[in-house]
Amino acid sequence: MSVLRPFRATDLFKFNNINMDIWTETYGISFYLSYLARWPDLCCAQEAPSGRMMGYIIGKAEGPGTDWHGHVTALTVAPEYRRLSLARKMMDLLEHVSDQSYRGYFVDLYVRCTNQAAITMYERLGYSVYRRVREYYGSLGLGRSAKDEEDAFENTGAPIDAMAVFTDMRKPLSRDPYRRSVRPGGREIVVSAHDVS
Amino acid sequence: MHTQYVLLPSFRTLIEAIDTGSNKTALSSCNKLLKKQPQNDLVKALKALALSRLQKFEEAGALCEEILASKPTDESTLGAMSHTLRGLGRHMDIITMYESAWKQQPGNEELAIQTFSANARTGNWKLAQQVAIRLHKQFKEDRYLYWNVFCAVLQLEQASDPTTLPPLRPVLYKLAHRLITTSEVPSFYSPDRFYVHILILKELGLYEEAAALLESEKGKDICGRSLICDELRREIWVLKGSVKEEGQRAQDRILKKDDRNWLEFLSVLNATFHDINSTEEPTEETMAACQDQINKTQVFFAEIADRDGARDRSGPLALLELELRARKIALSIDPSALYTLTESYFQQYGDKPCCYEDLLPYVADFNVEDLSRWTSFLRMYTLSDTLDDLRRTTNALKLIRYSLTPAELTPESENARAAQYMDIYYNGLKHGKDLADTELQHADDLLALAAHAFVNSWKISGDQANLYNAITVLEFGLTRSKQAYQFRLMLIRIYHILGAPSLALEHYRLLNVKQVQTDTLSHFILTRASTFALSSLGDLTYSTECIEASQIYQSNSLDTAEFVIRAFLTEKYSQIADFVTLEDRLDNSLQRDLMKMEHVRMRVAHEPISAELVDVELVELKFIFDRLHYDNRDFDILPNYQPRSQPTFNEQTKMFGKIPGKGWLWMFLKVYILACRHASDMDDTAEEKLVLGDRPKTNPNIEAVKLPLQERLAMRPQEELDELTSDELALVNFETSVAEWLGPHHDFIRPLPSVEHTNGTKQIENPHTTNGTNGHSKKLDEQPTSKEPPEIATQFFDEMKQRFDTALQASSLPPELLHIVTLTQEAFLLFAIETTRFKSSAVVKAHKLGAVVQSIKDIRSKAAAVLTAMSVELDKLAAADGSPERSQVFIDACQPLVASEITEEFVSEVAKKVVDARKQIVEGIAKGVAKVCKNHA
Repeated sequence: MSVLRPFRATDLFKFNNINMDIWTETYGISFYLSYLARWPDLCCAQEAPSGRMMGYIIGKAEGPGTDWHGHVTALTVAPEYRRLSLARKMMDLLEHVSDQSYRGYFVDLYVRCTNQAAITMYERLGYSVYRRVREYYGSLGLGRSAKDEEDAFENTGAPIDAMAVFTDMRKPLSRDPYRRSVRPGGREIVVSAHDVS
Repeated sequence: MHTQYVLLPSFRTLIEAIDTGSNKTALSSCNKLLKKQPQNDLVKALKALALSRLQKFEEAGALCEEILASKPTDESTLGAMSHTLRGLGRHMDIITMYESAWKQQPGNEELAIQTFSANARTGNWKLAQQVAIRLHKQFKEDRYLYWNVFCAVLQLEQASDPTTLPPLRPVLYKLAHRLITTSEVPSFYSPDRFYVHILILKELGLYEEAAALLESEKGKDICGRSLICDELRREIWVLKGSVKEEGQRAQDRILKKDDRNWLEFLSVLNATFHDINSTEEPTEETMAACQDQINKTQVFFAEIADRDGARDRSGPLALLELELRARKIALSIDPSALYTLTESYFQQYGDKPCCYEDLLPYVADFNVEDLSRWTSFLRMYTLSDTLDDLRRTTNALKLIRYSLTPAELTPESENARAAQYMDIYYNGLKHGKDLADTELQHADDLLALAAHAFVNSWKISGDQANLYNAITVLEFGLTRSKQAYQFRLMLIRIYHILGAPSLALEHYRLLNVKQVQTDTLSHFILTRASTFALSSLGDLTYSTECIEASQIYQSNSLDTAEFVIRAFLTEKYSQIADFVTLEDRLDNSLQRDLMKMEHVRMRVAHEPISAELVDVELVELKFIFDRLHYDNRDFDILPNYQPRSQPTFNEQTKMFGKIPGKGWLWMFLKVYILACRHASDMDDTAEEKLVLGDRPKTNPNIEAVKLPLQERLAMRPQEELDELTSDELALVNFETSVAEWLGPHHDFIRPLPSVEHTNGTKQIENPHTTNGTNGHSKKLDEQPTSKEPPEIATQFFDEMKQRFDTALQASSLPPELLHIVTLTQEAFLLFAIETTRFKSSAVVKAHKLGAVVQSIKDIRSKAAAVLTAMSVELDKLAAADGSPERSQVFIDACQPLVASEITEEFVSEVAKKVVDARKQIVEGIAKGVAKVCKNHA
């Protein structure tokens, strides 16, 4: 029992119960508004009937040519609302919109390799490993994909270390009927973050 | 473009310096370049930017004037200027600058867009609309037509433009409607254009027309992939009265598309009861029809519940909601149905953490028999051997607790419950023994329950020992579950009640509150922060915290409006109103100004009372006095597991039982504006110089703004006074009486160039006109007669001393004592602000104020004597507070908790920390008071 509704700018006043979670980063206002000002349809929230926020997803559409795809930047559910398939419902919506509105070839996301729980969850949702991306944290803190990934799963025991390997997972959409955007054995393919646009 | 300069190496150095924020290097590069090219506007603009970043606002401002006078049209110069002026808060100048550039180059679309953006940035939708109209006329692009339309919409949104009068509404919407329909490209072009179209139709009440669009193939397609448009569609259906039709559609979606959005279930429920809800006096026939509908819906939901099983809880919850609604209109057939459904829901979903929250509305409707059955049923859940057991037992205990009656809530029973919760908690820890540090323990909520029971026990008995127990369990909980933020929030509240603010601050910092959260959560630490601030001793911890927490307002003013513009450029109209609301709510945040007020209160204790301090604060506080505030503070983040017969945990743990709100802020603003006005010699020209950038817009929705400042300051509405503690009220009365007593002398002595001597008329003092009088009332021709000081003022300090002695004897909690002392100190400081003028012997002589000055001296020495006595008492208290006996009291109180998990050492450590923190603050305030007395003697 949850209301699926658009994520709004004013949710920034309400999302504390979700963002107090250690794995959910609270960014500057500009971060949220830059997504809402371009891909509002790829951002949605789940709300309890009491009006309390349960979780949200923030995504975008990007990539040249056949790399044009939907990307999950942040997916998070408050600890008290986990195990209710909320993540699946929000992923469904993001995939649907990436497919129908943006006509993307696939949807992708980054997960820390050590986070087997999240990888398993995404596999159940039809995602497969496309490649692994090695990312070093610079002096400025976490890199882009690290930030993405921090938000991208709900349960994790993975500590933050100086270097991490991320799993880039993909799921083809209807525009890619021959599944050209995915490949078997992606776990074995390791690239550095430099090679990833 | 200044391409020739871009090629110069020195220019490249300059750009690099600007980009990397090396402002000093940038400044010297500019100076070098300007020697060669003294008239180069771009370099001048970059110099202004560097200057403003180096906080040299006056110089930057002057340079900007020079560049603006040359009416630049070059895009780089305009861009740099726009940046600089934005930083200086001079948005009106940006508008004029672009308007003038566009006028000089009417064919330049980019300049036209910038002119539009400049207006949008200030929220001037009327002017922005006019620019959009011209843009559309000239460049024929459809998006300009939508800009025009949406500016009209925004004009009508209360929050964005309160000046638009109601009669104008239909006119503007009709105009917008005509524009959209005359556009060559239909609004189906994009979900956001479609959204605007439907929004206009909704506002005009043209629901059928909207429905026709929404029902078309393209309309359906858009709603299918845009939640925002679908939300609007739902509204239209309700507005046009098609609630039943919508219910049918929702049933189809639930059944055929497996949609489990709760909104669909609500649509079915609303349709079921529509016949009755849409009439005031339902006939028997309507009742029968509704009954029939209820039965059908019941069958439908039961089918969904069956089909989904444990996979989704929407079906069973919809059945509960259906039954509850039927009961409310006496159409429930089976009186036991609500109970049965609740019990079965618990059996099915009792292992989900949200089960408790889900069931509250239904349990709240139970009768006495249901309740006793329910409690017996829940009591069966006592196990915690498996994770599933633990989760169910936790929910059962929460739900039992929820229904406890006042008779069942004695200190003894609450303590026994706490022990029970803790027992299961300890046992439950085994399920999480392998969890990483970053994880939450599965048993955490049991510990939260124990803390709730202890706090409730304290509330009932007044025995602090219960709070010591609450602290110990919560601190222990954090050793097992480091990320349990709710434990920290609860601790912050309890540490404040007990007068251990440094520990509260420690926990707050560990929460890593940042960005917009500083607006919603900083109240946990900064509410009445001046009670605990040692700014009098030069410790600026809380002042710094206020400044840091206020950064978000700065970044909001700089950034949010840019995204409003971006949303116009990307044509995401559905977002614009929300962005504007976000900006407005942050800009006019209550917490922002509560922090500001606390900052001022701490500042006067720290700094000498100078003319600069008084003038700057007067200007800023008067701005705040014209704001319409939004309360964005998040109190719901605190858990609440108290029985429904009791106040919530939040209510129970408010310091002094009251949370400052708008009324509190208003009263303190009045007090400080009163005092600062008297102390200030500032005329309007001086005030103008202090104001950086544009003056903030006044909100005409505040009725009081239209009144003269003098009158506004004198207002004492009960609802505002109600938010004050009795001691704060005493402070307000003190300052009011002092102001009345000394006001006439201030007004007579103060040099007031902008006011004519006695013109007999009352002036409306509007701080937003340039020729006002800074709120000072008319100048008197004749010297006011010296009066005896008012009784309130002469007796205040004695009364506060009495209050203090009584509280001391009653062994009140330290915060109450600190509250009395810091407010007495504040009265002394306000008195210092009020009386600085009379320190000059020349003034006293010239105005024959000997008698007044003598009274001032009497009050001041009385105040100093009282404060010194308080300081001595606090010192004694601090010595006693820090003694090992005090630690022992804490340790003894927590003895029942000592078991295998919570050790003696652990309790001693916690006790020591608490005792030390209490000692530290009492000692600090005592020293601070002594220092303040010395500084202002």
